Amino acid sequence: MRHKQPLVFAVAGLGLASLGIAGCGISGKAPPNAGQAASVNLSLQTVPTIRSVTVSPASASFGTCTGGLASKNTHSTGGKLGFPNGHCFVGLATSGIYPITITNTGIASAIYVNGTSANPSDGGSQWILCRKDGHGAPACTRADGRLPGTDQYLVENFSSAGEQRAGIGATPACDPEFVASGRCWAVQGESQNEGIELVGPWSSTDTSTKWTLTITWTPVPSHG
Amino acid sequence: MHLRLRLSAALGVLLLVAVPVAAQASVGVGVQAGPVQLSGAAHPGGTYALPPVYVVNTGTEPESVAIRIERISPGTGRTVPQAWIHVSGLPSSLGHGQSARIPLNLVVPAGAKPGRYFSDVVVTGSADLTAGSAHLGVAAATDLEFRVVPGAVSHAWFSVPPWVLVAVAVIVALSLALLLMLRSGTSIRVEQATAGAAAGSGGGRAA
Repeated sequence: MRHKQPLVFAVAGLGLASLGIAGCGISGKAPPNAGQAASVNLSLQTVPTIRSVTVSPASASFGTCTGGLASKNTHSTGGKLGFPNGHCFVGLATSGIYPITITNTGIASAIYVNGTSANPSDGGSQWILCRKDGHGAPACTRADGRLPGTDQYLVENFSSAGEQRAGIGATPACDPEFVASGRCWAVQGESQNEGIELVGPWSSTDTSTKWTLTITWTPVPSHG
Repeated sequence: MHLRLRLSAALGVLLLVAVPVAAQASVGVGVQAGPVQLSGAAHPGGTYALPPVYVVNTGTEPESVAIRIERISPGTGRTVPQAWIHVSGLPSSLGHGQSARIPLNLVVPAGAKPGRYFSDVVVTGSADLTAGSAHLGVAAATDLEFRVVPGAVSHAWFSVPPWVLVAVAVIVALSLALLLMLRSGTSIRVEQATAGAAAGSGGGRAA
């Protein structure tokens, strides 16, 4: 008889627990005299929290190429870059033509810009992006760093705010053309019209005549 | 002569109208502004599912997106190595205004140094619009943050299916009940009465 007590307690506990679980199902039923519950549906809208950018070329293409050596038949012609150190433009700073529009379509952000190596159509040796100050890209090796050396090239973007003289690097960095608010900061809807100047290499190892490169704009969080 | 002038003027107006229409094509990409964070701490040797990152095509052209890990924005902590973040489920293409949530997995090597890690998740839109031989690209960045602490990898409960947890709980409860019974000395005896005996005893009561 003494030994049966724990079993009785266990069974009783299980029964109580079962009652408790079952009770959960009926506890929500309102008493007969209780008032009816009423509710109201509310909706709320928030501002978008997306960081985004759009880039729109306005019939942009490299043209107005100058420089090179006519005596060696390697001078620039029309939209073709010459050697050594020919220049080609998308837009024209002297005429105030800035064909590329960069718009911050998201929340306020810092707008960064960077470039890539130039790839020849035959898949051979690339041209490496260089900068005059050597920050974020190798330093240009001709004319005391002012001009690209062999298999190097320089890209400068410009706008009505001025020209990025040191050049665009391979690592994303603050685009100084977004200077209206300082620190390359752009609020939602703010845009900038820009052009691009490309300075070609002193000489090219690869003999391809078609090259591709990419300039990328990136909105970046700022913790300042 | 006048007709030629008028035709030229009309052509000029047509070009002025046509150029802005062509210029409306744009490439764009967006990413969630909120940082991608691991809810708890990571341990060396562990693999963790990061919250999926939201990306959207804000341009007018269909584009595919790529994700890379790069330290761009200012912040403190160790730089997250690209190899630690595994990206899966990238959509082949996103139309104008379309969005997707891209799953990310954090794989921390066994020899990882403890501390706070910080980098950016950089989403690149690849619908490059060609300008001569220059492609104009877009990207958008958001923070990536997590902590690595020393210690063994603790497998999260949420990684086990719920039915397994219920089954384990039932087995443990039954085992405890059985143990309790054995320790208290209680025994359950099952008796089976034969039909004849039952009838006999029943008849006896009737008498």
